[in-house]
Amino acid sequence: MKRYFTRKVLIYLLTFFIAVTIDWMIPRFMPGDPVLNMLAKAGSVHAEAQEVMYGYLTTAFGLDLPIWQQYFNFWKALFHGDLGVSVLQFPRPVADVIKSAIPYDLLLLIPSIVLSWIAGNKFGAFAARSKKLDNTILPVGYILTATPYMWLGILLGWVFAIILKIFPISGAFSYALKPAFTWTFIKSVLQHWFLPFASLFIVQFGGWAIGMRNMIIYELEADYAHYLEALGAPKRLIRKYAYNNALLPQLSGLALKLGVIVAGAMSTEIVFSYPGIGYLILMAIQNSDYFLLQGCFLFIIIGVLLANFIIDIVFILVDPRTRLGMQGGS
Amino acid sequence: MRKIVLAVLSILIMAGFVMSCTPAAAEAPAPAAEEPAAEEPAAEEAAAAEAPATVDYPREETLYTMGKQWGPPTSWNPMQQGSYAMGTIGLCYETLFLYNPLTDEYIPWIAESGEWLDDTTYQLKIKKGVTFSDGEALTADDVKFTFEMGKNFKSAFYSELWAWLTSIEKVDDYTLTLTFSSPEYQKWATYIYTVAILPEHIWSTLTEEQAITGANQPPLGSGPYLYEAADESKVVWKRNDNWWGIKEMGLTMAPKYIIDIANISNNAALGMVLQGQVDLDNNYLPGIASVINGGYGITTYFPEPPYMLSGNTAWLVMNLKKAPMDDAAFRRAVAYAIKVEDIVNKDYGNIVLPANPTGLLPVWDKFVDQAVVDELGFSYDPAKAKKILADAGYKDVDGDGFVETPDGSKIALEIGCPNGWSDWMVAIQIISQSLKEVGINVEPVYPDYSALTAGLYGGDFDMVINNDVQISNTVWAYYNFIFYHPIKEQMISGTGNYGRYENQEVFDLVDQLDATPIDDIEGMKAIISKIQKIQLTDLPMIPLWYNGVWSQVSNAYWTNWPSSVEGAPKYLPATWNGYWNMGAVLMLSELQSTAAE
Amino acid sequence: MGAEKKTNEILYFALRNGKLKIGLVIVFIFVAIAIFGPLFSKYPLNEFVAGGPNPPSADYFMGTTAYGQDVFAQFVYGLRSTFIVGIVGGGIATMLGMLIGFLGGYKGGWLDEFLNGITNIILVIPTFALLLIMVAYLKLRGVVLESIFIGLTCWPWAARAIRAQTFSLVSREFVDLAKLSGMGTLKIIFGEIAPNMMSYLFMTFILQFGGAILNAATLDFIGLGPTQGASLGLMMNWATIGSALLLGYWWWFVPPGLAITAIVGALYIMNVGLDEVFNPKLREM
Repeated sequence: MKRYFTRKVLIYLLTFFIAVTIDWMIPRFMPGDPVLNMLAKAGSVHAEAQEVMYGYLTTAFGLDLPIWQQYFNFWKALFHGDLGVSVLQFPRPVADVIKSAIPYDLLLLIPSIVLSWIAGNKFGAFAARSKKLDNTILPVGYILTATPYMWLGILLGWVFAIILKIFPISGAFSYALKPAFTWTFIKSVLQHWFLPFASLFIVQFGGWAIGMRNMIIYELEADYAHYLEALGAPKRLIRKYAYNNALLPQLSGLALKLGVIVAGAMSTEIVFSYPGIGYLILMAIQNSDYFLLQGCFLFIIIGVLLANFIIDIVFILVDPRTRLGMQGGS
Repeated sequence: MRKIVLAVLSILIMAGFVMSCTPAAAEAPAPAAEEPAAEEPAAEEAAAAEAPATVDYPREETLYTMGKQWGPPTSWNPMQQGSYAMGTIGLCYETLFLYNPLTDEYIPWIAESGEWLDDTTYQLKIKKGVTFSDGEALTADDVKFTFEMGKNFKSAFYSELWAWLTSIEKVDDYTLTLTFSSPEYQKWATYIYTVAILPEHIWSTLTEEQAITGANQPPLGSGPYLYEAADESKVVWKRNDNWWGIKEMGLTMAPKYIIDIANISNNAALGMVLQGQVDLDNNYLPGIASVINGGYGITTYFPEPPYMLSGNTAWLVMNLKKAPMDDAAFRRAVAYAIKVEDIVNKDYGNIVLPANPTGLLPVWDKFVDQAVVDELGFSYDPAKAKKILADAGYKDVDGDGFVETPDGSKIALEIGCPNGWSDWMVAIQIISQSLKEVGINVEPVYPDYSALTAGLYGGDFDMVINNDVQISNTVWAYYNFIFYHPIKEQMISGTGNYGRYENQEVFDLVDQLDATPIDDIEGMKAIISKIQKIQLTDLPMIPLWYNGVWSQVSNAYWTNWPSSVEGAPKYLPATWNGYWNMGAVLMLSELQSTAAE
Repeated sequence: MGAEKKTNEILYFALRNGKLKIGLVIVFIFVAIAIFGPLFSKYPLNEFVAGGPNPPSADYFMGTTAYGQDVFAQFVYGLRSTFIVGIVGGGIATMLGMLIGFLGGYKGGWLDEFLNGITNIILVIPTFALLLIMVAYLKLRGVVLESIFIGLTCWPWAARAIRAQTFSLVSREFVDLAKLSGMGTLKIIFGEIAPNMMSYLFMTFILQFGGAILNAATLDFIGLGPTQGASLGLMMNWATIGSALLLGYWWWFVPPGLAITAIVGALYIMNVGLDEVFNPKLREM
């Protein structure tokens, strides 16, 4: 057990190290000069003052140091939670910018991932081996997963916000409100949350439903299922076993798909101007704010790693084979 | 069966979520005790999801603006000219004068008057009774302190001023004398309406780093609005009912709140404008022309094309250090070959104007020497372009449909604009198409913004679209941009002349123009005529079209917007940095609420 | 003899499988449009032929964009790009996935650990980061380049799946036999293991094909797509920038998304059909 964990943790640390190193390279390997960029954005400032500013900011961003030292400083700062200063949102620190975006991401990602996974699996299991459903509703599932997120998002926005006027088209809460713990505010947040959530949920739901449907059919055709059937076990029981067995691959499927989901969330956030990390990434790209970009990617790296780790642990808890494997120290 | 139940249940839960977010839920009792029970809002009001009864900023008292803020507001520091939050200068901090380009007027604001006593002495009088929002009086000390910050802090944007400003002396509490080593009248006239006067009692303790790079939140100025709140998506300004201008100038600002929404996607922005959720939108919204007369109550400055005022010139900047752009004949052929009309019609849907051959904005029409333009100007004429090319020795030697240089080498050029700048991306496609038609091989490229600017500043580019110089009080700024000198290794932003055009004669003329008093129109015209002659002969850059002061307003909650219509206010209807102090702040005093009627 | 019989049997079931047929028909219709459509295009791609937005008409089969470009031309050339992305991107991803999955699954040990590590890293870093750097350096980017990039970053899923399958095959007798007979690693992999999971590999390719198309659409949509030519994602990007739906230019925004959905959806349905054909147990009773 301990050995298994040490190995897992080591692998995670190594992955983290390499991924972060690649991440560190982003602002430094981009053509152009982030400081010049920033000054260019400042607009009408006189050239003479700019030259002074240039030297000043280069030092502030630590870009005048030798590259190895920049790398070293980056790690040092990272452990202090210091991700540098955003160019786009100067003089705000990147960590601060990201911190204010995270709640919206969690609000969007966690419910959509968890709910679509649960609902999709239930529905897939329910539809499997039911000829009618298999030929009517499931194809709908295929169509749903095949829909580009942003396209669906824009269509939903158009129908529900512009034509039906049921939901707002952009933002995280009404512009007429101050964030506060009141019913008006919470309602506003929910209203703004719903469309982006729905477009994420719908696309993911189809994927899980199909996956589960296929798994269940495989399981029902497995030897043990036939054996149970021969023994006269009730169909319900057999399906229950099949379902439980099928859940594990679906869980590892979730781990594999997290990156894709995060990318999908990004385009959804862009469509609805929902101020999460995805929206930040777009803003950072459009404004060449590579420090902010670096911070956003770091957040995604950590998020995906953490989620993978949690899924790993869930695996150990639910899958006897993994537990066995740990003792064998494979 | 249990699974069926579960599946159905999970769908029901989702459906429940839907319901809970729809207006029906408004019937739920308001939980918080101190809140008045939420009224059932009218169906479509709640549908727009923006008008519960308990909002913090009542809609009819609020002016919603959008279009300035790219990303959340993060700085309220008037020293950060490009990045301060919407309204920091104009609503909160104020300048000595306002300058209104539409009427070419300097409007005394904090200043009572300013005049040149002789060629090197400028006397400035401050209004009595100007106060900061904390009640402290704004006096000559604050003005002196503000300008001297440029001397003490080299990174202040106006530190350059001290290269020709020798001293600033306080005569009395309301009078100052500035002594210059050389009179740069034109440049100085820009400073008097762009430098915000800071409260000495707050800023005197700040270090250079704090003063220049700090966020300055919350800001404290002398202006008609107070900082109220800010979050990721907006900044909120609240009217200062004790503002000195109410008494001193008899001005009252109409909106109690001004809320500036951080920019969102075009699609969503247009949606909000159409629904009347934004009152004043300064985004470039493609297709806006088709909704202006569509019954949405959306209007623009001009009720007819070009709809928008012209705010800056889009120039084709060419690298004059590279062949064949180093040949004036080639540049002239390019100028004749570009079908600007297509850019205006197809790309912009007629919301921009084609540029005058001099590139001067319509507000500077009086400075265009028509005789020079008639003699040396250009217009779309592909036959002429081909002829110029042929006469200069550019021929298609290898038969690929594209001309080669007179010495026979191939021409394969790139024209660039930043990736994602959609209107410009289309424009360079049109330019490339029309240049190819006369046999000049130019491909459109869309590098990342920083790569593009790095190339531009460093002199590593062929052709780029640029509009770095904006509408302002002085036509000199335009010539300073076109003929910026001295030429440096890095022509960074704020300079100009990225193509590295060198001609001492014109450089001297530009300097001479700077040293001409702003009211000496005839003197200016004489110099400008000479400059235009050289400009149109050598064509160091080619003016293409005028980008608009993009502005679309909704008349749902506020009316009496600036417009070309008889009797309407004449101000630039823009919230961008630097525009409030170009007169836009006066627009606020003329707005009328529809609720009051 | 036996092999031939099996092939016949598969063909028999393939022809009887409704899902496979429907999927194939839809995909073939779009392939046909992609191949022959450009022949019917009246206007050159991306040129500003009309004065402004026009609804579909006899002159412009699918209308024009707000800038006056022919939507039909963009659509048919865009479809070509879509299939190129699918084939090249999906192909590279499947091949890389096979290479890494086979090697890891067959060899095990430290090599497996190492390959697993790489897979994890690619899974974890937003592949965007790499693309961004690339985009910043390349002023001109084509569809093929985009496909290659997608192929190079989307293989981890395939690698994991193939590795797991290989694992289960490695302990079978025929592999042991091959090992005993002194066959080389590659020969065993491609001579013994791969043929035994051919159907699985084929289905993996189809999924990667669809995935690559969706990925390309996302990249195009946020403006990191090709700078030349046409693609369905670019069409959506431009239509969104131009607020097509709000201004009523549905013919500009709807077709590209619908086509992607139809193609990828059809591929998925085909895949289920194939699954049933290859696995007798799954056939509907």
